[in-house]
Amino acid sequence: MEKKIFFITADNLGLTREQIDYPHLEILKFPVIIDGIGYRQSDEYNAKWLISKYENENIVAKSSTLVQKEIVDIVEKYHNDFDMMIHVLMSSGMSAASFKVAENVRKQFENVIPIINIDSRQAINGVGNVLLAIIDIMKANPILSLEEIDQKAQEVVESTFSYFVLPDLKYLYKGGRVGKAQSLMGSILHIIPVVGLIGTEKEGIIVPIGKGRTFKQVNSLIYDKITEKMNEKGVSKIKRIISIFGYGDKNADAFTDLKEKVQAIPCDDFIEGKPAIVDAVYCGPGAYGVSVYL
Amino acid sequence: MNKRDATLSISNTEDLAEVINDIHHYLNKHKEYLNSLNVFPVPDGDTGLNMVLTLQGAMANMTGKVSLEKSAGEYLKEFAEHMLLNSRGCSGVILSLFVQGFANVVSNNNFSKENIYKAIENGYRNAYEGTKNPQEGTMLTLMRAFRDKFYEQMQHEDNPLLIIRDIIPQLKEVLNQTPEMLPILKQAGVVDSGAAGFIILLEGINKELKNHQLTGISIPSVLGIGKTIRKLLKDRRSNLKRDPLLPLILNIDFNRIYNKRLQEVLADARKVFGHFHINNRMSLQKKIIDNLQGIDKSWNPEIKYRYCTEFTLESDHISKEHLIELLNGYGDSLIIIQSNNRFKVHIHTNKPNDVFEQASEYGNLLFTKVDDMKKQHRNFISEDIIGFERDKSVFCIVSGRGFAEILKNLGADDILCYGKNKPSVDQLLKNLNNLKAKNIIAAADDHDILMALKLAISLCKSNVYVVESDNPISLISIMMNMPKDYDITTMFEEAMKNLHNIPFSSIARATRDVSGINGIEVKKKDYFAIYNKSIITSNPRLNSLIEEIIGRFAADSVLITFYRGEKVKNNAELLQVLKIKYQTIEFEEYYGGQSKYDYYITFE
Repeated sequence: MEKKIFFITADNLGLTREQIDYPHLEILKFPVIIDGIGYRQSDEYNAKWLISKYENENIVAKSSTLVQKEIVDIVEKYHNDFDMMIHVLMSSGMSAASFKVAENVRKQFENVIPIINIDSRQAINGVGNVLLAIIDIMKANPILSLEEIDQKAQEVVESTFSYFVLPDLKYLYKGGRVGKAQSLMGSILHIIPVVGLIGTEKEGIIVPIGKGRTFKQVNSLIYDKITEKMNEKGVSKIKRIISIFGYGDKNADAFTDLKEKVQAIPCDDFIEGKPAIVDAVYCGPGAYGVSVYL
Repeated sequence: MNKRDATLSISNTEDLAEVINDIHHYLNKHKEYLNSLNVFPVPDGDTGLNMVLTLQGAMANMTGKVSLEKSAGEYLKEFAEHMLLNSRGCSGVILSLFVQGFANVVSNNNFSKENIYKAIENGYRNAYEGTKNPQEGTMLTLMRAFRDKFYEQMQHEDNPLLIIRDIIPQLKEVLNQTPEMLPILKQAGVVDSGAAGFIILLEGINKELKNHQLTGISIPSVLGIGKTIRKLLKDRRSNLKRDPLLPLILNIDFNRIYNKRLQEVLADARKVFGHFHINNRMSLQKKIIDNLQGIDKSWNPEIKYRYCTEFTLESDHISKEHLIELLNGYGDSLIIIQSNNRFKVHIHTNKPNDVFEQASEYGNLLFTKVDDMKKQHRNFISEDIIGFERDKSVFCIVSGRGFAEILKNLGADDILCYGKNKPSVDQLLKNLNNLKAKNIIAAADDHDILMALKLAISLCKSNVYVVESDNPISLISIMMNMPKDYDITTMFEEAMKNLHNIPFSSIARATRDVSGINGIEVKKKDYFAIYNKSIITSNPRLNSLIEEIIGRFAADSVLITFYRGEKVKNNAELLQVLKIKYQTIEFEEYYGGQSKYDYYITFE
């Protein structure tokens, strides 16, 4: 039987609502705390605004977990009109608390509506990639069982790889999300780190991909890593690429260079993603990256 | 036949220790001469120093071991083992192998001429087989000549010391011929520094009989002579007679010139300058200029890189000689170290699997390693005496403290910062073993460390992959791209791939005048720049030279990095000038701490 599915996700997905072609979707907003004051993504408070504060003021920014009540409100609002709900979350390895909150809600409503919480093992545009891929699958196969959906979602997660150029890892470090990429910190030599979220890595934490001294070098590194993954998976064409840039104006040329490089790889769908204030907390000025779904 | 003193009069360990001490002092006095026999006019020649330090290291380890219970032969054998462990650079390793082979024969304390001949023969074979890249014109040639001449002379003389004394002039003749045997020496018109060092050692042994002075002429002198002759040819005749350099050219001792081309130049120059009324002056002058240009043009040092294959064979069915014969055709750089029925083998080859197959017909292969990652890698190291604590490590060997810090930060697990003195085999071995890693990637910033490193590896229990790097910039490039989460073969493959990734120029101050290299004149104390192993420009002012270099390479760069040498101060002013001039380029400066070069400048 064809299922009516409602999707939930949060705003650190590298996409705007308009970029997601699915009507039944709510995007939660992560709370961002700057010097003790709470903010949410808006026209006024966005990634560019936070980066500008980073660059011009000595501020401390953090993000908070998803608010349980906000998820509960969404479920209560829509559960009567849908057969099931799919909540695509950022990696539990990076935000265990948010995943726990989502699980609490799933349990709370388990006798009301089935909810599948999908641990994307990703952040930012990686989450967006997982979300869009699952939406595509559900559009094509609306009769899948819960188990089948779970299995397909797992395949999507394990086929999604994201690579980020983070010129300054201190933002990731201060936010407690630096993971194994800490090995890239503390170099005497000025280096440009490349970090990644690799769908096949169960831990779902940031891993070091490599480093370069110039943006050209790190862009080539990302290109090589993508083609390496394609070879590993025996894939000749990427299903979707979502790029991310816009944490301030810095490194626009470097981002363009990366975009041109990855666009040379055969791909069904290329989307220029959009950053949110919550990603900016961890990325810092001049960050950019790409997520590929193979 | 002279029947005086039929044996060498070394009766006890005390005498022998004294003789070794004297030889060391003699060699030490001549080390600067040996050091000067280098290619570029930078203070990086260290053949003499390496030989001295090799002896010194062994002497230090033998302190307190002089005893009445031990024979001189036994003492020498122990000394030879310490020499090997303390050997530095190629020259130190080859010399140590010779002494090891020599000592193995005289360990019976028989110092008769017959036994000494056998010892020389064994020393030569040990050195030759230990460095099976048999290039003529090196120390090995002198060792073989030493054997042959000793044999000839022992038909007329019984005292081994007198035999050695008498054959030294003949050995110098062989040394004179070395430039004809090794193209690079011939082209540069110098003798091999290691070969010269070997003769100095023999002279040291005989110094009480006759204090020979080694003759020879180094690159600086060859080029200096060329420069002087060019200048004299340009002088007006009236000025020529007053030129203080003229008598030097007219009276130079031909016996000190090993380069036939230069000999010809000098002979022609004498005709031109000594006889002002000769008919063919113009053609002679042209011939001189052509020959000098030929000498200059032919200066082209080259370093080869090869993949290496190593294995340990356990066999009771093959001798070292047979194994050498068996494997010799598969490649070069064959090194075989035997310990009872175990053979540690190192060879550069394109057919590692064939080598393994051949060797395995004679016994068990305990471990194999192929640095060419296109070939299948197999590692049979299992229950070894070292308790391995980690699977893989990266080991770097550098001279500058700044570079050591940078490499450590980039992820090198251990750094051996050796300063000015190249590390000994023993030092390298200790560092390798201290890593307690099953697999190690090792890379040094100087090509001359490779032989000692390979010897250390042959004694090391870990599976070591050598990246044949020869400068600190390559090490940075390797570490920047080292995928430490991957398997060892991928790590090594990546290291090899990134070896020459970063273009760079090195800048040093000339220790002597050099003229005509690529048409570039370098005056003593001028600064000069090397790019791709060739001198590309020089200037008395450092900042001007740097600006010229930057001008040449700026177009293709977005990041230019300066690595300062140990004696260079921070050059903020110059960086400021460059930043204003090249606004699209990033400039960075770091302390490298290297001793040879004032700067390494990288272009990325």
